[in-house]
Amino acid sequence: MQHPLISQYTLSLTLLCNACYNTCDSTLQPAQVYHSVSEPGSELTRRFRTEWRNARMKTITRSTVSLLASLLLLSAGAQELRAGVAAQPETLDPQATSATSSFQTTKSIYDTLVEVDRDGNIVPSLATGWEISADSLTWTFALNSGVAFHNGDIMTAEDVISTFERILDEDFASPKYAEFENIASVTAPDPHTVVFTLGEPTPALLSALASGWGAILPASLIENGHDFGNDPVGSGPFRFVQWVRDSHLTLERFDDYFRGPAGVDSLRLVFVSDSAIQLQGLITGQFHIIDLPAAADIPQIEAHPDLVTSTGPSGLVIVAALNGRHPPLDDVLVRQALNHAVDKEVIMEVAYGGGNPVGTFMEYGSPWLPADVAPYRYDPERARELLAEAGFASGLELRMLLPQLYPPHVLAGQIIQAQLAEVGVTARIEIVEWGVWLSEVYSDPYDFDITVVGHTGKLDPTGRLGGYDTDTNYVAFEDPELTALLHEAAVSPDWDHRASLYADALRILHDQAPWIYLGTPDNRVTHRAEVEGFWVTPLIDTWDFRSVSIN
Amino acid sequence: MLRYLLSQSASLLITMLLVIAMVFFGMRLLPGDPAQIRAGLDATPQQVESTRRALGLDRPLAGQFVAYLGGLLQGDLGRSWRQNQPVTVIIASRLPVTLLLAGCAYLLSLLLGFGLGILAGSLPGSGWDRLVRGYTTVGLSFPEFWIAFLLILVFSVNLGWFPLLGYPADAPLPTRLMHLALPALTLALPRSAQLARLTRALLIGERTADYVRTARSKGLSVLAVTRHITVNTLPGTFPLAALELGGLLTGVIIAEQVFSLPGLGQLLLGAIGARDYAIVQGITLLAILVFTAVNWLADLAQAAADPRIRYS
Repeated sequence: MQHPLISQYTLSLTLLCNACYNTCDSTLQPAQVYHSVSEPGSELTRRFRTEWRNARMKTITRSTVSLLASLLLLSAGAQELRAGVAAQPETLDPQATSATSSFQTTKSIYDTLVEVDRDGNIVPSLATGWEISADSLTWTFALNSGVAFHNGDIMTAEDVISTFERILDEDFASPKYAEFENIASVTAPDPHTVVFTLGEPTPALLSALASGWGAILPASLIENGHDFGNDPVGSGPFRFVQWVRDSHLTLERFDDYFRGPAGVDSLRLVFVSDSAIQLQGLITGQFHIIDLPAAADIPQIEAHPDLVTSTGPSGLVIVAALNGRHPPLDDVLVRQALNHAVDKEVIMEVAYGGGNPVGTFMEYGSPWLPADVAPYRYDPERARELLAEAGFASGLELRMLLPQLYPPHVLAGQIIQAQLAEVGVTARIEIVEWGVWLSEVYSDPYDFDITVVGHTGKLDPTGRLGGYDTDTNYVAFEDPELTALLHEAAVSPDWDHRASLYADALRILHDQAPWIYLGTPDNRVTHRAEVEGFWVTPLIDTWDFRSVSIN
Repeated sequence: MLRYLLSQSASLLITMLLVIAMVFFGMRLLPGDPAQIRAGLDATPQQVESTRRALGLDRPLAGQFVAYLGGLLQGDLGRSWRQNQPVTVIIASRLPVTLLLAGCAYLLSLLLGFGLGILAGSLPGSGWDRLVRGYTTVGLSFPEFWIAFLLILVFSVNLGWFPLLGYPADAPLPTRLMHLALPALTLALPRSAQLARLTRALLIGERTADYVRTARSKGLSVLAVTRHITVNTLPGTFPLAALELGGLLTGVIIAEQVFSLPGLGQLLLGAIGARDYAIVQGITLLAILVFTAVNWLADLAQAAADPRIRYS
């Protein structure tokens, strides 16, 4: 069965992973108001920004006093780590959602059989190790003993079996069903061994087991039909205390965590959708960590002695998708021309606060990315030539639909509009609400010519590319050679062979250019200097609070 | 009076039915599919279909509407698919924040609006008047989110008098009020400006009335005359005051968003985005009830304050 394994929703300003189709938060978000003008950088817009920034600058020095006061308060009593985050989870049930905002939180509450380490390798977690049979159809996991769930249950193979029965239950309708559908059976020869039997080789399964949606839940609660979405119970480093939607979520340290207790007593995620207010909260010491520093504020954060910001590539690929259903976008020359017409460096810098351009449908820094695939050179002259060759010397007109929920994409779209105008392509911008984008742009009727969106990171390339083996995807791209490569790679147990297959697939996607490839924005972690040990999981961009301490 | 109330109740029922139908079908006509939003983009079409079944959205619309109305008669507002909880429980948990915020904002806007309006209207052309006119211009022309940012910068970040954001639901009342002070002020500024403007205009219009000249010429003090004028003009502001109370319902959305308050406004906004129909319907129902009740109260208050108005 084919399924668009695409994951798609995108992000907000810099730590882009948080907003993932949290449909709500931003429809009226003030910071976006000035982004929604369709003329880039109108006079009013500029003035508003400048004044706002000036006003903010003046406040920085004065806030130092209150900062010191809050530092004194912090050093006394129980240690609570407070993070200002842009988006709240959709639900805390790890198997009932595909929202990154959910997995960022569930990471602290649940554990998975295997997990991703800081270098992006998959390493043991609830499982102490695993063995894959020669035919790749039998995967045997040895489980840790003495792992306690928050409700007091001790984890056994039964919990693992129940969890996967839950995911594979068609009535439960898990959005992640497809990643596990090749599992024919899960059995337990003894309480600390689990055997997965597969219908066909599925190398990507290991990545699915390491992702947030592979979380193991206690069997006793699954049987009772427990509401994990509102009252999550896992075996993770923090246990659930309270979630006031649209306000905050609190977790407390789980002292029986099987890898030793976490560094702070409790964790409080406060939902703040505006980057300016997040930053004020960080400066005044109300927050220790924020996830949405605005690109324009980075210099100020870097200059501040109490704040630390560090960057690394995120797992995202930002693209301007070209709808191949609509001529002349079915013409590869036109698509290549558009790729040459856009200056990716400028877009990554201005719209996303820094990042690296890419030349194909894989994030920058990915081990799967072939070294010989470079970003399309910014060359308006070449773009005009290609357009002329395709028969559009006199220019052409396109409709660009942009998702209002994500101001960076809207801004990127406006820059693209200006750059396309240079080569005679007129793009008319329409800004649509996220729910509309999902149902009208990303799905049938695919009502767009160009749209800007970010594809979230996946541990395995199947997650990113799997849905492009038929033209039922939103860009309507299909290529027989690509289809063959993807099908072979999905079931090939030989990792080197897979790498070469995916490299070829990515080369085809570069040449055929169903998207204007923009780049991978930086993941920006911004926190107070006294916070140590916070990190963001590579590729899937979830937060890890286990080893955080406040000095 | 009883007759008036009865006829009003009947029209309220019809209004509610119409609005429920409009919201019910309007939300479903909007592009955007709750089953798809819930299932996510990774889901196959079959999974979206089974999600749609699980949400009960595969049944015919008319049947869904009848079932919804049936539930309403039993006090059941439906279930939120997003939160997996009954709508009544969710709304009840959000209501206190929004009520307290709207109450504070309304009180502030009345105090400021009438106070400044009477001050300016009693001393037209004076420095006070110019000051108030400046205030109303600013209050009416600045968008709320901008006022909110200014207040945050000055009173929260710079002076540190008020907390930056949030709402500690379990804290004692004074603490909660501190958290609501800036959002309430944000909402009160534009509303008080409108009220001050109207009050001032009515007062100035009334100053040239014959009875005022007579009263002055027979030697009544300025203060006493002002009192008469005020009492005579104030009922004219009640409809606006009532409208503003209704308008607060939309205003809270912005205030709750900027200050991260877990109230009805943010709930509504999120529900619209996620196409969580039951929540949107529930809040709309509540809003109609509040709006209608407030307008009744305003009518009654006006009748009580102005002997010329009688309802029958």
